[in-house]
Amino acid sequence: MPRSGPKKLFTPRACGIGGALLAGGLLAGLVVAGGGAADGAGRAPAAADGLPHTSVEVSSGGCGRGWRHARPGTQVFDLHNTSDVAAEVYLKSPRTGALYGEVEGVGPGTTRQLRVRLGGGTYAFMCLPDDADAVTGPTVRIRGGGTGGPAAAPVTEHDLIPPALDYQKWVGRGLDELVGRTGQLRDAVARGDLAGARHAWLPAHLTYERLGAAYGTFGDADRKINGTGAGLPRGDRDPGFSGFHRLEYGLWHGESAGALRAPAAALAADVRRLRDDWAQARMEPADLGLRAHEILENTLQFELTGRTDHGSGSNLATARANLDGTRAVLSRLRPLLVSRYPGLPALERELDRAQDLLDGFRRGGRWTAPDQLDRSRRERTDALLGDLVERLASVATLCDARRTV
Amino acid sequence: MSGMSDGSGVHGVGRRRFLRGAALAGAGLAAGGAAPADGSGAGVTVPTPGPAAAPPVPPPVAFHGVHQASVLATPRRVTAFTAFDVTAGDRRELADLLRTVTDRARFLTGGGTPESVGITGPPTDSGLLGARVPGGALSVTLGVGAALFAADRFGLHDRAPRRLTTMPVFPDDDLRADWCHGDLSLQLAADDPDTVLHALRDIARHTRGGMQVRWRLDGFASPPRPSGTPRNLLGFKDGTANPDARSAREMDRLVWVGRGAGEPGWAVGGSYQVVRLIRMLVEFWDRVSLSEQERMFGRARESGAPLDGDREHDAPDYPRDPKGEVIPLDSHIRLANPRTAATADQRILRRAYNYDRGVDSNGNLDMGLLFCCYQQDPARQFETVQRRLAGEPLTDYITPFGGGYFFALPGVRDEADWFGRALLTQKGSERS
Repeated sequence: MPRSGPKKLFTPRACGIGGALLAGGLLAGLVVAGGGAADGAGRAPAAADGLPHTSVEVSSGGCGRGWRHARPGTQVFDLHNTSDVAAEVYLKSPRTGALYGEVEGVGPGTTRQLRVRLGGGTYAFMCLPDDADAVTGPTVRIRGGGTGGPAAAPVTEHDLIPPALDYQKWVGRGLDELVGRTGQLRDAVARGDLAGARHAWLPAHLTYERLGAAYGTFGDADRKINGTGAGLPRGDRDPGFSGFHRLEYGLWHGESAGALRAPAAALAADVRRLRDDWAQARMEPADLGLRAHEILENTLQFELTGRTDHGSGSNLATARANLDGTRAVLSRLRPLLVSRYPGLPALERELDRAQDLLDGFRRGGRWTAPDQLDRSRRERTDALLGDLVERLASVATLCDARRTV
Repeated sequence: MSGMSDGSGVHGVGRRRFLRGAALAGAGLAAGGAAPADGSGAGVTVPTPGPAAAPPVPPPVAFHGVHQASVLATPRRVTAFTAFDVTAGDRRELADLLRTVTDRARFLTGGGTPESVGITGPPTDSGLLGARVPGGALSVTLGVGAALFAADRFGLHDRAPRRLTTMPVFPDDDLRADWCHGDLSLQLAADDPDTVLHALRDIARHTRGGMQVRWRLDGFASPPRPSGTPRNLLGFKDGTANPDARSAREMDRLVWVGRGAGEPGWAVGGSYQVVRLIRMLVEFWDRVSLSEQERMFGRARESGAPLDGDREHDAPDYPRDPKGEVIPLDSHIRLANPRTAATADQRILRRAYNYDRGVDSNGNLDMGLLFCCYQQDPARQFETVQRRLAGEPLTDYITPFGGGYFFALPGVRDEADWFGRALLTQKGSERS
């Protein structure tokens, strides 16, 4: 899933905030921003977008300079970085600290646009040069003028560390359980008990799926443990095809126990290695919000479509496990979201609704395969999960780790 | 942490129960966005391809009005016709859905600057059309299908449009279930594909929980070649004999549901929309002699003139040709519109597009007609015509495979109105 910047949850070592400090060597001509000549008269110049523009300086010494004529409504700030380092820029409420907008990485000498809707109230720009302390510019007051766009207080890395640690511990416990379950699966295959192996496969796989192993969470380990034939030269027939779906294919396509012994043993070993590595690793707290969103994106792309089915017909069980995985992240972010995300109660209601719907697809211990859903149930499923990812997208943007100092 | 707040105490992305609609409804007008061309709505005149008319440049279609003006509007260059099934759980959610569709349609047709939500969400707009959505570039037509009024759905069975049924199977049809029917029909039309796709993405995004796409077919209208009515993919001018959409009297007689017709009060101002997805077997067609092609249609391919005339808009004179020696009795135009006093009220307003969707599994080109027509009574009009056409020679070269019957809702009258408001708020089965 395309995201700007690094998004891997699983990194050998924790990255410092802001990750890349590119500051130093960049040489840029110092451009003196005159404070936006076009804005001098206090009237909106006719821009191509039809909106009023205001030129504003970004620098440690002159953060926010140029915003002389405050006006309500939808408008654009042309943020010009006159310094020699890249900077982030926020437009915030000095009173509450809530952010109305941000532009990341305004390069030295460049101008970037920030479009916002402002209502009556007080505002200030905040400039956060890559290698220096944040600077808050002068407070600007807008009188009257209706309601402004939505704003929220930034979430910092500091805010995210406790939930991330807690989540990481939860994943660790899940991995312990997974080691046990893949061990049972391996043992069943080893003793030639294919019925037992089929029985053990689903709980083991769901244990993994519950951990929210989507979009690179576990890095290369995920490919080995839960990959499909996609990207392999010979697809599902490739000797490099391994993990849960390799076993699933064999167990549901009449392969012999002998043929599955090695893949089952490899899966158990890969899981054990992942568990051990996880204990040594620290997850990137800044990625927690992305996790909350992307687990279910993965579900839409690979489970509701049946793409990952290799014979067991258990995609909806997987979807249900992914829902648990989403909740595991969300419950830990909840304290940060209650004050920032007005849609949270509705999101939680829809999560419950989706859970009830998916639970209804299990009858007597058997799960309905997606292609066996009639149109109405398929559409309801697609609608509910589609609605959830729309809502969860906001969790990701709100919980992006932001600097405040 | 101080949390979600702003200077006004208004929460930004407060969503409806499952829809992103209203709260994100674009800042267009406030920001000086282009207002709809005509807020009054009633009596909107729309050019149609008339006799010897230069290719008309359609004016922006007003969004507000007694009718959905898009019904009468000349086809734009491109369209996406999408049937949706409603997944909303109850009538309140259905109302939310229709309000949201209205809000989005109002913004997308009127244009303006999409809402900015800062750090509280991803961008509200896909950006396909740049920073500012142009006004007047898009038209939206919303219809409802019979399934929406089923007794076990939203309790609307006693207020269904009286003549709304599920599209039947006609003898020459080969319908595929996945391409038929739907709770809602949404037709988007514009002169550029990006405008249509932008609108489709926007509306789908804002209604993700409330409706799901059932089927979708994109179409295009060809430019006049070289003049007159645009051609279909069999090479013939298609729609020459359309009733005059500029004539309010004619439209009241043929297209709009009026008072006193026994329809529910809310339905007045709407129109029955019949959509037929018709594959054309173009390879086969291209192997047919010109004279046989022309006798199947009853028109000359090059000029579009009836076979007893010289020019496209010459009226065929059937009484002078009682045995069909010039225009065969089973030709398409003669069966479709016999031009008698008795059949005058059977005429339909055709708003067809061509479609092209690649190839079939045997490598034959998959293209044809996205037929759409409007009328005030499908049984009296479309079905009567269709029955007359049963078994016409042309049926060997076409295969209707999908479509549906819908009721194009009355127009959204003003800023406070929304699609289906009268349907959902009217008491009981009150008749007009």
